Amino acid sequence: MSSEHAALLKDSVTDFAQRGTDIARVRALRGSAHEFDRAVWRQMGDLGWLGVAIPEAYGGMGLGLAEAAIVAEGLARVLAPEPYTASAVLAAGALAASDNEDLKTEILTALVGGETVLALAWQETAGAIDASHVAARATPFEGGLRLNGTKRYVSGAAGADVYLVAAQSDSGLVLACVDRGASGVALELQPLADGRHFGTLELRDAVVPRERIAATGAAAAAALARALDHATAIASAELYGVMSRVLEMSVDYMKTRVQFGRPIGSFQALQHRAVDLYIQQQLASAVLEESLRELDADPPAARRQAIASRLKARCSDAGVRIAREAIQIHGAIGFTDEYDAGLYLKRALVLGAWLGNAAQHRRRYAALALTKD
Amino acid sequence: MNRDYNTLADDDFRGEVRAFIESRYPPELRFLPRRVRMDEIRGWWDTLYAHGWIAPNWPREWGGMGLDAGKMVIYLEELERHGVMRAADQGITQVGPILMKYGTDAQKSYYLPRTASGEIIWAQGYSEPGAGSDLANLQTSAVIDGDSFLVNGQKIWTSFAQEATHIYLLVRTDKEAKKQKGISFLLVDLETPGITIRPIRNIAGHDEFCEVFFDNVRVPRDTLVGDLNDGWTVAKALLGFERLNIGSPRRPQYALKRLELLARSKGLFDDAGFVDRYTAIKLDLDDLASLYARYVAQVKRGEPLGHDVSQLKIWAMETWQRLTELLVETGAEDGVIEGAHDFAGAEIDFLAPFYYARPGTIYGGSSEIQRNILSKYVLELPS
Repeated sequence: MSSEHAALLKDSVTDFAQRGTDIARVRALRGSAHEFDRAVWRQMGDLGWLGVAIPEAYGGMGLGLAEAAIVAEGLARVLAPEPYTASAVLAAGALAASDNEDLKTEILTALVGGETVLALAWQETAGAIDASHVAARATPFEGGLRLNGTKRYVSGAAGADVYLVAAQSDSGLVLACVDRGASGVALELQPLADGRHFGTLELRDAVVPRERIAATGAAAAAALARALDHATAIASAELYGVMSRVLEMSVDYMKTRVQFGRPIGSFQALQHRAVDLYIQQQLASAVLEESLRELDADPPAARRQAIASRLKARCSDAGVRIAREAIQIHGAIGFTDEYDAGLYLKRALVLGAWLGNAAQHRRRYAALALTKD
Repeated sequence: MNRDYNTLADDDFRGEVRAFIESRYPPELRFLPRRVRMDEIRGWWDTLYAHGWIAPNWPREWGGMGLDAGKMVIYLEELERHGVMRAADQGITQVGPILMKYGTDAQKSYYLPRTASGEIIWAQGYSEPGAGSDLANLQTSAVIDGDSFLVNGQKIWTSFAQEATHIYLLVRTDKEAKKQKGISFLLVDLETPGITIRPIRNIAGHDEFCEVFFDNVRVPRDTLVGDLNDGWTVAKALLGFERLNIGSPRRPQYALKRLELLARSKGLFDDAGFVDRYTAIKLDLDDLASLYARYVAQVKRGEPLGHDVSQLKIWAMETWQRLTELLVETGAEDGVIEGAHDFAGAEIDFLAPFYYARPGTIYGGSSEIQRNILSKYVLELPS
């Protein structure tokens, strides 16, 4: 994508952030069972954003992660609750890398247009960041598969129409589509700090007709692993958007809040604190830019994992720290529900933990680096 | 005169620099965990000079390589990659560019060739006992007396003054003017009567820096660079490369390699606690490399560096320090025994890198001053 196109996309996201959404909408949707706005999701589809990284054959724009990151960062700056990364990057990415063309055409086209929300149900235990942890079973019968198991921490589950479920079969990993409300599928929602939800999906002999199987074996494992790393990178872009906005808020506050007859931003203790947060944000920015460029060149799996882990480690730590210290910089007002700093902290906490926190990613990075030597 | 290296393809230039360094740089001087003395590095200086490569940043008409920003970055990257130590090269990096911009024709033709050849070695006379971070508070005075200035006062933290032949000085020439306004820039021969140099031993046990005393030192008026009372402007007109170079990840990367050798020989990569700490600091360094690369790209595009580059020095130096702290801690009791230790064939010195990293957050504008700069000019916070 040319830099002009990137600039146009950025302008379009910025315009939406200024006019198509506001924090009042975010507050109103907090804790609601549907979690986000269908009309806004459709609007995002109309603008083409849901298909940024989806191949053109399925109605997408066929661009890369660098462009998806522009959308994710812009939406995160205004805390939009729509499950862009969970659905249009993670779930759609896993499906797009699968090999059932009819299924891809049907679901991805609907997703790109904003008609459908797809969620990926892969994880089962807290702290798992690799696809190898999947234990749910897929057992064959003449017409397809029966799924059994419990899927947890499903992001975007609250408003999803279709789940892409990962399970183990005798032929290896399987990715299969299951409709919301299908027989043998029970959804329970866990409230998250930021007013959204993780879903727990109980699968009890849930039936998957053969034509709803997206991929099997090595193809499924590769599709899932790749989508997880890519979504980890885009979640990092979201964290970058959150940390950048909340740092601006803190610095602006320091310029206007007066105590002892002077703006508190004139006090060196606060200035140096703000500079340290700025350095963290700049490190995140540099790593994000470099990582997206490298990931878009489609490196081998081990390298891709190392890049994603390095990026998420920095962005999770920096994002949570900058948002946490924003509360301190704002003082008591920062601790009120009425003030927005808390919303940014809560989103940073959720994004920081989702798809692996900094400590987990540092561990994976170390394991990869040390086996390489 | 040198060839025009800027017409070479980047890779060809890089290859030529790398081959030259690898074949000619003394192997025993690679990656020293301390500053290098002039008597150790004089041979390398002569090698570079004979090859026409001593002054990559100078124009070709003055014996430099005349490198553009992109080639300059490559040249520095290759020196760093090989662990080439910086000689007392302030004449090349600072005095040369300053004279090129502000010097008279007579100053240029006298000082530039001698600086390049190494006949003149420069020391920097900026800091004083009462003017460290607050440099503009300097009190060393120069009073016009006929065709001379009479200089009185004291400079301190002057690195390697004992091996220098000349010193470039910031002196106060107008006591009435406000701070920065009354300062002038002088070039002084250290053989001039009235100058006393006293080395100061640092905590690493090295005599790297000195005190320099000036007692009625008579300095010819034609050694004034730039206008009288305009020395602050002269001193501030430095190349961006200096600020970039100080934030390079190479030195800490070398310290990290030492830590890895040590950890391997002690089996510490099976210790989850150590691995967590090691990885956190390795990532701090990897991420520094990404930030550094972004600034290098900016310089290569020919864009000037802004005040934001101060963050690079803060992060580079503070990460380097934390790394050397972990190195000493990982050495346990061995970590506080002086000198080199043998670990499974690898030679590791714990204390030398630890000491070497200490002044990094003090010289060239302390970490606190850099934070003030970022606060004022980048975050635009009120004063």
